[in-house]
Formats: sequence, structure tokens, C-alpha cells
Amino acid sequence: MTGAVYDRGYRPYEGDRGGRTAARAALWRASIRRALGLRRPWRQKVAPFVLLAIVTVPAVVNVGVKYLTRNTPASDIEFITYRDYVGVSNALLVFVALTAPDIICPDRRQRVLPLIFSRPLRGVDYVAAKVGAMAAILFAFSFLPQVVLFVGQMLVSPDGALTYLRDNAEVLWQVPAAVALLALFYAVIGVAIASLTTRRIIAGASIVGLFLVTSITSEVLVGPREHVESMSVVAPDEVEGDRGDGVIVISPDGTSQRTEGFVVRVDRSDPSAAPLLNVAGLPLVLRDLVFLGHVDPGHPMSGLAGGGAMAVGVYALWVVAGLAVLVHRYHEVER
Amino acid sequence: MTAVAPLLRTRRLTKRYPEVTAVDGLDVEVPRGRVGLVGANGAGKTTLFRMMLGLSLPSEGELEVLGVDVGRDPLAVRSRVGFMPEHDCLPLDQTAADVVATFGELSGLPPRAARQRASDVLDLVGLDEARFRPVGGFSTGMRQRTKLAQALVADPELVLLDEPTAGLDPMGREEMLALVARLGTFGISVLLATHLLDDVQQVCDHVVMLDAGRLVVSGSTSGLLETTGTLVVDVGPERAALVAALAAKGLTAAEVNGLVEVQGADDAALDVVRDVVADLGLPLHRLTSGLTSLDEVFLSRAGRPAAPGGTS
Repeated sequence: MTGAVYDRGYRPYEGDRGGRTAARAALWRASIRRALGLRRPWRQKVAPFVLLAIVTVPAVVNVGVKYLTRNTPASDIEFITYRDYVGVSNALLVFVALTAPDIICPDRRQRVLPLIFSRPLRGVDYVAAKVGAMAAILFAFSFLPQVVLFVGQMLVSPDGALTYLRDNAEVLWQVPAAVALLALFYAVIGVAIASLTTRRIIAGASIVGLFLVTSITSEVLVGPREHVESMSVVAPDEVEGDRGDGVIVISPDGTSQRTEGFVVRVDRSDPSAAPLLNVAGLPLVLRDLVFLGHVDPGHPMSGLAGGGAMAVGVYALWVVAGLAVLVHRYHEVER
Repeated sequence: MTAVAPLLRTRRLTKRYPEVTAVDGLDVEVPRGRVGLVGANGAGKTTLFRMMLGLSLPSEGELEVLGVDVGRDPLAVRSRVGFMPEHDCLPLDQTAADVVATFGELSGLPPRAARQRASDVLDLVGLDEARFRPVGGFSTGMRQRTKLAQALVADPELVLLDEPTAGLDPMGREEMLALVARLGTFGISVLLATHLLDDVQQVCDHVVMLDAGRLVVSGSTSGLLETTGTLVVDVGPERAALVAALAAKGLTAAEVNGLVEVQGADDAALDVVRDVVADLGLPLHRLTSGLTSLDEVFLSRAGRPAAPGGTS
């Protein structure tokens, strides 16, 4: 650049100045913009908005089917429940592997960190902003489709919107709670792994690798097992364990009937603790705890004594370990 | 109260690394203004900057920047100081406007004000037209300007510039120095770290020289330079004639490196030299006070420990 320097004068800044909180919020905003590809070339916008589309499609389809079947017996069939819909797509994991490295690796690779830390913020503020940005996006991308699903189902409900709202009031806290647990978990792990390298591609591959390897390992350890070895419809007084919500019996002439008071008894092989190793699947166990109050009866961990508490413990361990790695990696004061 | 606090005050400031002592018992008080921090590579300049920003903790000693104890409140220092590192440090896939605005926000400016200030300071450093282009496509000179702009965006009281002319061609260097010189007129103090004494001589009114982490000398540039009293005259090839004519007027002159140096020159001697050159009909290419260059000050003092508190 050899252009002349024009004298345009210099105006001192007299306005408000924020401190550490403002700096942290600014870094959070900048990271969110970066993750969504805002103020960046269109290529960077593809991944986030494709993901948003992918995760929203099931809600739209579900609402559409509900609308079309609203006056038929099939309207009772749940294609997708609010619980299933938390963490429904592996696209979310791919998004973490793409985005977490993108909001954190270049700062170290391009040596931007010294500039960031010459601002009034500390290493923990950096960590909070980056994890917060990632978690906020994951939360939004998991929560918005749920809103579509809920509002849609409410509007097409044959019993009327208010009745639907009253009948499903519990998901109003269950969904955000489960989604928040999921978002925090994936965000911490994704950003923590990405912090260990300056190369985005290596970070992304490591994140995918961790999810894959742990999920395969856990499946191998659980072993080849039938989820359901036998299933029978029995009378309630024969039941000792979990009771299902009810059974829909479809008779040969095609009419269906929801039968309260009967339960499905599922006989399983021995419960296994191996799913605790499955990093990508762990938040789904916590999701079930939020929705059901216990581990899903179809889950290999179901029936494991203290299984729920163990899942919470392992979850907390991962989050704490991830944050510890991050705080260590982004200690702004040289030791 | 802080308005009169010195730019920098250290007492026995020391930073030891396992391999090397980067800053060694530094005692110095530096006034506000444009200050050169001079030393060879590895003299401790960058380490001193990092300690001033609270990014590196001193092994020993005290350190105050703009009257603030850095150890006690590093964030207060950082919100009043801009920093331009020596190395590449810009996010390459963002536009200069975005980069500078983001750093403005990180310094605590509200988003709207940050964008406005980013636009203003990019203008100031001569990047008005390029500011919506990604930094990755910038030349070294443009990147240096962007780095300077991000240091200025929050209207700091002090900017720390680490080798701002590194990698610039002669013209880029002149322009960068001109910018640095103007900062003083905006009421922004400058601490300019460089190994190029010429840069300091050109724009700084105070010099701090470091050598291997120790203070060599600290003082006003003019005070350090006005010590020789020689006059340098360039009249082309007819040097012998000039030396002889000056001797006839009672001045001690000699040919040195293709120039004529007049010893013990005062203001009156300047007139004499001018007249003699005119009388001889010689072309007067250059007539300057032969200040000791800062190189000479440095070479003559390096290796000797400076008096505590400097010699200002």
C-alpha cells in the first residue's frame, strides 16, 4: 500500500466504555457471527443454514402429517415425540465438528490471541465467550425446531390449541432443559478438543473421531443384543417394573384403539454400563432423565442400579474436564 | 491524578525465564509523549510490553503504566492502552473494517460506536478504500496499518508499537513513521519498540535504550544527541578546498567519509561555513548539525550499567 495518508483529523472518543463484561459479550457476539457465517463469504453460511433446515424438516413433516390425518384414527400416532426430537440428528454433531474448530483454531493459528488478550478481558472470559457462543447456537438450532413442532401441533390439534397446550405443558420446561444440557455438552467438548490444535481439519476430524470411536466402543461392549427379547401385552396387576404409556392395538380391520391400563412388558438381557462411554449419546441419557425421570426402558442401561446418577456423573466429568482444558489453554498470563 | 502519571515507571523490574533473563533490574521512569524503546532483538522490548499489558508477570520488581499498578489491575491498563504486536496477528478472512470494529468492541466500545471509530481510524491510517476487503489479501504495509488501526480504535491514552516499520519498504516506513509522529498531536502517547535507531531519532522525543534486558540510557532524544557539536557539510568533491578555507577562518575541519566535518561548531560557525561555501562557489548539498547518531550513543553506553532512574 503506497497510498497517501490524508489528514482527516482525529476525534477522541468521549462515549461510554464497557469493561470486562462488555468485552466478553463482544467476543461472544463475534464468535456467533463467525459460526453463522455472517459478514463472511456465502460458503461459510451454507453449513449452519443447511443444518437448521435438516433439523427442522422432521417437525414440519410431523405437523403436516398431523394436519392431514387430523380427523382420522391415525392422528394419535406420534411420528416423533418431543423427547425423540432432542438430539434427533447426527447433523448436529457434524455441525459441532465444523464450527467449534472454526471459532477457535484461527485465533491461535493466526496469532490473534495476543491482540484479544491486550483487551480488558481474561482467559476465562475468552473460554466463556467461545463455549457460550457454540452452546447458544446449538441450543437455538435444537430449540427452534421444537418450537415449530409444538406451535404446529398446537395449531392443528383437533382438541384445540389451548387443550393441547394444557395437555403438553410439561414439555415447556423439559425441552429447553434437555436441549440446554445437550448444547452445553457438545459445545464444551467440541471447543475443548478444537483448542488442542491450530488446524481446523485436525480438530474437526478429532471431534468426529471421538464421537465415532466412543459410540462404536460402547456398542461393541454392550454386545449383540436384542433390544426386545420378548414382548407381551399383560394386565397391569402383573407388572412390577416400568409401565408404558399405553398400547395402541390395531385390529385386522384397520381400526385402532388406544388401550389404557395395559402395559408392555419388555424382557431384556442384562443392563450394561457401557453406554456411559458413548460421548455423543450421553446427553440423550440425560434427556431421558429430564423427560421420563429415569433411563429409557429400551436403553441398554435401563435397569442398571444407579444408572441415571452415573450418567449425570460422567456428564459432569466431561464438562468439567473440557472446561479445565480450555481454561488451561487460554490462560492469558504467561506462566 | 492519572493525567500526570508517567507513561511508565519501573523499579527493579526483572523477568527471568529458565534460559534467559529477559529484563534485568530495570529502573526507569518515562514521561508521556513519543518514546522510543530501543535495543537489539532479544533486548527485552517485547517482554517489557507483555509485562506492561499484564500478559507476563514480572519475576521481581514493580511496574506502573499510566499510574496504574499493572499487577493490581491489569484490565484497567488494557482498557487504556492499545497494542500493536510485531508479528502477524490479524484474522485473515475478515475485512479490515470488521477486524478493527470487533477489536473496538473488545475494548469496551458499544457496537455502533466501534464501527464508526473503525471507519475513522482506518481513514486515518490511509485504508479508507480498502477497508471492506479481507485482510488476507493485504500487502505487508496495509496489514501494518490495520494493526495500527486496531490499536487506536478505542482511543487509547497510550499505544505500544512493536517494530511497526518491520517489513515495510522505504516509502511505507516513512508513512508509518509520519503516522506515529502524528499520534503525539492527538494526545496519544507512544512507546515505539524498534531496533532501528533511525526510526526513533525521527519521531521520538524520549529514548529508552535496552541491552540484554538492562537499561543503557533513558533521556530526551535531543539531550542525548546534542553532545558532539560537529557540523557536517557536503559540497561534493571539492572538500579539500573547503577544509583549507575553513582553517583560514579559524575552524577545525576535516574530510570524513566524503564529507567535511567541522569541529566545535556553534551558531556563528554555521554562518561562517555558509559564507565560505558561497565564496568558494561550491554547491552546498547538505549542511547539518553532526549529531551523534543514536547508534553512537548506544555503542558508547552499551555494556555500562546506567545510573538508576536514567539520565533524563
